[in-house]
Amino acid sequence: MKKFLTILGIAAFVFGYSQNGTLIVNNYTPYDFSGYIMANNFAGGCYPFLTSSAPDMVTVPANANMGNGNELRYENYKDQYTSSLYPISQWYVQSSSTISVLRPWNHAAIMPGGTISNNTKWSATKFNMKYAGTTNGVPGFSNGLTLAGNTSCYTAPDYFDMTSGGVTNSAEIFTLTSGGINYTYIQLYTF
Amino acid sequence: MKKTILLAAFAVLGLVSCNNEGTAANTVSSMKTPQMENFDKAFKSLGEPQNRPTEEERKRNTSELSDRRKALLVPASKELILSTGVTEPEMMRKTGGDMSQIIVWATQIYMKKSDEIRNNIKTDK
Repeated sequence: MKKFLTILGIAAFVFGYSQNGTLIVNNYTPYDFSGYIMANNFAGGCYPFLTSSAPDMVTVPANANMGNGNELRYENYKDQYTSSLYPISQWYVQSSSTISVLRPWNHAAIMPGGTISNNTKWSATKFNMKYAGTTNGVPGFSNGLTLAGNTSCYTAPDYFDMTSGGVTNSAEIFTLTSGGINYTYIQLYTF
Repeated sequence: MKKTILLAAFAVLGLVSCNNEGTAANTVSSMKTPQMENFDKAFKSLGEPQNRPTEEERKRNTSELSDRRKALLVPASKELILSTGVTEPEMMRKTGGDMSQIIVWATQIYMKKSDEIRNNIKTDK
């Protein structure tokens, strides 16, 4: 474990990997988004791999997006609990394929600037869309999404669409990066 | 008599004030600047049929939004940056016209403004 952490530490130093950036979920559909939020290592290997755990699936209600200020916005694993509209109180942290642990949002191990935070990026979601205010899924509108280039860590496309009754529902994940600042967007649309 | 009139005046004032509170719906959307609204619309527009990622774009091995789609965000991003008092030459000098830099800069401005609005609403209540 110590070795593992040392290697991670060195990796962080070598790659100068900055903070995992900000995650934004914009739900432009008339349906509720219900999904796991995931992040993983990008500096070699997939671990640590973090998944939302309490709640396991985060709900971003119908039409909650930047347009009305109701988007999901996570700066990091810790501050999302106090600053976002959709707080996660606990993360499931896998440090290898066999070792995992549950960490509350304010645990030292996942602090911003710490090894885990510095070596991971928002990377994926697995979601179901539901008719607003119900637990009934929208047929066909559920999928996984992960950043292009991350499929060895999580198998999913980075874009998905389905057409039904003349309406196209689509979902995608992408990044906007410049000068070490990284925004990861997950967007859901109905057109 | 004077007292009654004064009292009535205050009562009216009170009513007017309460009334205003109701009509000035304190929501994030209503307090946004036109530049912020256009920035929002630009992000939503990425889902319009003609703006969805093409087969070619989906084959790329990078998570970064494609240049074609970034270009859809640039006009609103520029508007938002300029609305803070930055001049066009300053903006171009700082970013070299690079789309990513312009969009990320605008996003930072947007997040800050949107946080300020949220905080204002909180303190009003």
